[in-house]
Amino acid sequence: MKYFIAACFLIGASLGAHATSDDDMWQALQKAAVAARALSYQGIFVCQSGKQSKSVQITHMFSDKGEFSRNVLLDGTPRQLLSQGSDLVIYNQKNEKVVIEKRHGQNMFPAVLPTNLESIRANYALRSGDIERIADRQAQIYLLESKDGLRYSYKLWVDSEYGLLLKSVLLNSHNEVIESISFNQVALMQVGGLDWFRPKIDSKKNYVMEDEVPTSANTGAINAWSIKELPAGYRKVDQMIRMVHGKTLPVTHVVFSDGMAYVSLFIEPVSLKSKASTKATQAVVGNTSYYMNVVDGYQVTVVGEVPEITAAQIGNAVIFNK
Amino acid sequence: MNEQISALIDDEIAIVDAAYLITMLQSSKQGAEAWSQYHLIGDAMRGDDNLSPNFKQNLMQKIDLEPTVLAPNATLGMLGEAFKMHHKVPASWSIAASVAAVMVVGWMALHQPTQVTSDLVADAQGEAVTSAIPAEYLLAHQTTAPSGSAYYIQTVSYSK
Repeated sequence: MKYFIAACFLIGASLGAHATSDDDMWQALQKAAVAARALSYQGIFVCQSGKQSKSVQITHMFSDKGEFSRNVLLDGTPRQLLSQGSDLVIYNQKNEKVVIEKRHGQNMFPAVLPTNLESIRANYALRSGDIERIADRQAQIYLLESKDGLRYSYKLWVDSEYGLLLKSVLLNSHNEVIESISFNQVALMQVGGLDWFRPKIDSKKNYVMEDEVPTSANTGAINAWSIKELPAGYRKVDQMIRMVHGKTLPVTHVVFSDGMAYVSLFIEPVSLKSKASTKATQAVVGNTSYYMNVVDGYQVTVVGEVPEITAAQIGNAVIFNK
Repeated sequence: MNEQISALIDDEIAIVDAAYLITMLQSSKQGAEAWSQYHLIGDAMRGDDNLSPNFKQNLMQKIDLEPTVLAPNATLGMLGEAFKMHHKVPASWSIAASVAAVMVVGWMALHQPTQVTSDLVADAQGEAVTSAIPAEYLLAHQTTAPSGSAYYIQTVSYSK
C-alpha cells in the first residue's frame, strides 16, 4: 500500500511537472516575443530563402523613447530598413536613385512571434528540443509544429539567458527547410543616444518615393462575393480595394493570418479581352504558394507563405452571389 | 481711446500731443490690438498688402516649431515621455520625411506609368525563381503582408 501511494504520488508529480513544462515552454516563447522588442542589441544575421541569402546588420534599441531598429543589408543591392514601432521606412538603391518605401512592419526577425500567442497556441503544438550554440550564445530549441497540414512549422532557437530569438527556421510538411534566419553574431547594447538611427544617405543619389498604390478601405458591405469557410485557424486581418500593377481595374485584396503565416486573396472581374485559361492553376515557389481560379466571371488569386492546400482552400472558399 | 488711436493713425493728432497715447499703447494689450487692427483696416481700405510686415517670419517660425510626427500611434502609449518624444526623437525621421517630401515632387514630374509596367514585365521575365507566380500579385502580397525573408530577399520589384 505504501508503494502504491508513493507510485500514485510520483505519477501525479510527473503529470504535474509535464503540465507546467508545457506552460513553461509557452512562457519561454512569450519571453522571446517580448525580448526581441524590449531588449537593445546589435548583431549580424543571415537570411536564406530558396537559393538566395543575405547578411543583415541589425541595431535595435528600446528606451523610454520607444522602439527603434535599423537593418542594413550587407550583401547585394544596398537596402536599409528603419523602423520606429511598427512604422517602417525602407531605402532601396536602384541604379542611380534610391527609392523610399513606407510599410507597416510586422513579425520582423527576431520579433517573428507576436506578443499575443493565443492564436498560435490554438494552431501549433510546442515541443522543446536540444540545446545548441548559435552566434556564440547558448540556445534552447523549440519546435512550433503545425497541428494540421494547413500551415508550416517553425524551429526556434531561443537564447537561454536573455530569451532573444537567435535563429528561426521554416519547415514544410516534409520537414525540409524552406527559409532560415539566423544570427552570426549578436550582443546586447547599452541604451543610449539615437545618432545611429538614420539612413546612410548617399547625397549624390536621387531620392524618390515609391509609386504608392492607391488603396481604399473596404468594409465588405457591398461585396458580390462571400467567404464560405476558411481553413481552420485563419482569420481575416485586413481588407482593401487596390490597384495592382498591370491591371486596369481595381482589385479586392483580403489578408488572412493564423498569427504566424500570412495569405493574400485577390478578387477581380475577368476582363473580356483576356480569355485566359479558366482552369485552376497552382504553384509552389520556395515558401510561397499560389492558387488561381476563374469562377462566375471573377478571377480568384491566392498568394501566401502557406502550404498549397491552404491556398487552394481559401481560393475555393470564395462564393459569388448571383 | 479707440477713437484717439484711429486719429493717431490717420495723422489727425500731432505726434508730440500723443505721447500719452503711445505710452498707453506700449503698456495696454487692448490698445496694442486696436492699433494693429486699425492699421490692418487702413491697409485693406487703401488696397495695400494686408499682411503684417512680420507675417512671413512669423509663419516660418511657427512651421519650425511644429514637430514632424510620422508615428502618432507609437507615442500614445507613453504618457509621461510623450511630450519629450515629439521634440527629441523624430529628428532623424523628419530628415527622412523632408527628403521624401522633396523627392516626391521631383519624381511626380518625371514619373511615367508606362515605364513602371514595362519594368515589371522585364523583371518578371528576368527573375526565373518566381516565374510561376505572377509578379504583380506576389508584390502586392509582400507589400501589404511582408514576413520573414520578404523584407530582405526581394524576388520581385517593379521599379529598377
